[in-house]
Amino acid sequence: MKSKTTGIDFSFVLASSVHDMKNSLGMLMNTVSDVIKKYPPQNASHANSYAVLEYEAVRINSELIQLLSLYHLDRDDVRVQVDKHCVIDILNDQIARNDCVFQSHKIKVDLVCDESLQGYFDADLIGGVVNNLLVNCARYCKSSIRIAAHQEQDYLCISIEEDGPGYPQDMLDAAAADTEMQCGFAGGRPHLGLLFAQKVALMHESKTHQGFIRLSNGGQLGGGCFKLYLP
Amino acid sequence: MPDLRYEKIQALIVDDFDNFRIMLFNMLQELGIPKVDMASSDQEALGLCATNTYDIILCDQNLGNGKSGQQILEVLRHRPNLNSDSIFVVISAAANKSIIMAAFDYEPDDYLTKPITPRTLEQRLSRLLTQRLLLTPIYAAIKKRNINLAIDLCRCEISGVNRYSNHCQKLLGYLLLEADRCSEAEHLYRDILELHQLDWAMLGMAHVKKRQGDSLSAQHWLEELIQFNPLCLKAYDLLADILGERGDFCAQQEIFMQALVFSPLSVLRQQELAKVTLKNNDLMSSVDAFRNAVKLGENSCHDNLDVHINFIRSTIQLAKIDKKIPKPILRDAFKSVSEFTERFGKSADVKVNAYLLESQLYNAIGEEKQSKEAMFAAEKVINKELAHLALSTKIEWVTTLRSQDKVNEAERITKELISEYHSNEDALQKIDSLLEEPCSEMNKALVEKTNKDGIAYYDAKDFTRAIAAFNSALQGLPQHIGLRLNLAQALIEQLKLNPESQKVVLMTRQTLNCVLQTISSAHAQYFRFRQLEEFFKLYDMERNLPH
Repeated sequence: MKSKTTGIDFSFVLASSVHDMKNSLGMLMNTVSDVIKKYPPQNASHANSYAVLEYEAVRINSELIQLLSLYHLDRDDVRVQVDKHCVIDILNDQIARNDCVFQSHKIKVDLVCDESLQGYFDADLIGGVVNNLLVNCARYCKSSIRIAAHQEQDYLCISIEEDGPGYPQDMLDAAAADTEMQCGFAGGRPHLGLLFAQKVALMHESKTHQGFIRLSNGGQLGGGCFKLYLP
Repeated sequence: MPDLRYEKIQALIVDDFDNFRIMLFNMLQELGIPKVDMASSDQEALGLCATNTYDIILCDQNLGNGKSGQQILEVLRHRPNLNSDSIFVVISAAANKSIIMAAFDYEPDDYLTKPITPRTLEQRLSRLLTQRLLLTPIYAAIKKRNINLAIDLCRCEISGVNRYSNHCQKLLGYLLLEADRCSEAEHLYRDILELHQLDWAMLGMAHVKKRQGDSLSAQHWLEELIQFNPLCLKAYDLLADILGERGDFCAQQEIFMQALVFSPLSVLRQQELAKVTLKNNDLMSSVDAFRNAVKLGENSCHDNLDVHINFIRSTIQLAKIDKKIPKPILRDAFKSVSEFTERFGKSADVKVNAYLLESQLYNAIGEEKQSKEAMFAAEKVINKELAHLALSTKIEWVTTLRSQDKVNEAERITKELISEYHSNEDALQKIDSLLEEPCSEMNKALVEKTNKDGIAYYDAKDFTRAIAAFNSALQGLPQHIGLRLNLAQALIEQLKLNPESQKVVLMTRQTLNCVLQTISSAHAQYFRFRQLEEFFKLYDMERNLPH
């Protein structure tokens, strides 16, 4: 797709920029954790600064993944690649990806999922959605996150809960909305993460069922509770 | 959890980026893997792989300078070596696995996205090694070619509640097909598809149908699959196989071109495309496809001399009919010819072929002096080594002599070749490429059959198939004037139906030009040739009139 004014192929620009950014980010994140190992925080303020460094790097990463995925979905050059996966592997991957952040923020992450639970989905896309949620939970929770997955009748249900203040009302309304537009831009504010999650859920369909998301407050930990249902 | 014994494991890290290499090295050491080697380039990596056996290879997808992890995997999987069973993990900064994977001719065992945390690496290694350990009996059975045992073991794994059941189902389908137990394979795939539309099961169904001889059903499955997942490149390859077997080379060319949009770095697919363009006598596409194949060959173990020779030959043909042939194409052709000995060794055959093709290239662009010089150099080697030269080299020699109008000498050598190889049918078939009427039994029969089929298609006004039939036969018998005039006639009819088709115009011009170069006015078909030529000229003039 070439720009009319500059003649630049933006799909190429985007892909290669994101590629470079992720390389740099990888180095940044690992250097930060090296520094933390070599010079452990002396006081709460140090620890806090380290935590911010780690968190923001992780956040940029998750935004980049989401940006690229939305871009590909929008251009329709990515289809869902559904295969049968071990649910616990996909969830563990995402926890491992954000391990440093959880450690430095002293966040307890509980994973409740049967070893043998399997589901049919696109591992990249669902991994992206879960990763995004975890990064957001890390920001809003007090100290715990609970990830659970189980079979609920015809659906695989993945839930992510935390003990923070919960989702604001406009997001709850947005998630309950029917259309993608309403979902993404509730109250004039973009919720790209939500839009992404809903788009991905809808792309998962079986012969009789289609995926969806549910947002609520309360749950087991008292804060925000996100549920992803996949056929 | 089985004992993974990290202390016994040997690992290799391949990345052009120093910091990243060292970071991974530290992570592996912390996991307790003592023996970790590192390489910063594909050459270094392959060097290490030639003398060491690694349990696991972590390889960056992008190694800089156009090199990629794909080329390393290609070498390791292509033929047996110390590392053909190593676990190969591709690491990439790109987030979309399916797009990256589509580019691979050989499937890596796993894929990791940057940035990588120590915990990610640990989890992934443990998963891969556990899987390898648990499935060892199955792979051992496959290695011993005890397919039925492997099938039983797979079924056993699938029946338990097992996290590897999906992997085993894929493997089982493959093994059932290998063992020609098609109805069992069909049963397996249908059961899976009953629940979910999975691309690998659809591909499996296509394999089943093809093996059962029902190529139409196989084709339907594949078309549906490509619609469902355009990145499933194995579907394109199988479809191309089916079309090739059916002799529908135009459709086959089309499929390869579609697949290459998603896998522009696939050297094997590019070579296949190039080969089929020759069958279709589609000169422009041949030049493009062989040129790309030559470029991709630069970093690949699949590079071969034939690809280079065909690139240069098609460039020569194009230069003869198109005086405005783009300079970069010529530049690449001269570059390729100048690198023959460097890439394919300094044997007399390679040397002579390089000089001969260089001579023809210069001749085609009207540089007679250089053309003669290259010919002189070629003949110097020929005179010294004649007894040891391959038949194909001698045939190239005759072609070059003809291009320089040394007709008598060309005829003399051709006659000598025929008498030298008179009792060798294979060789005679090759020599036929120099003759108007073939001398081998197979090609004599081929001409007869092609004319019969082609004319039947022509009479039925199926010009596309008539053209395909004549084109296909002309690939091995380029001097056959009768076949070529039949082709020209079918092309002209096709042109009447599609007056705007640039491709048909070019093909017709090329075909008539070919005849012009070989036909004498005393030839029995000379009058027919002039008629066809006259018609095309008129048509071409009208087409170029301002509207």
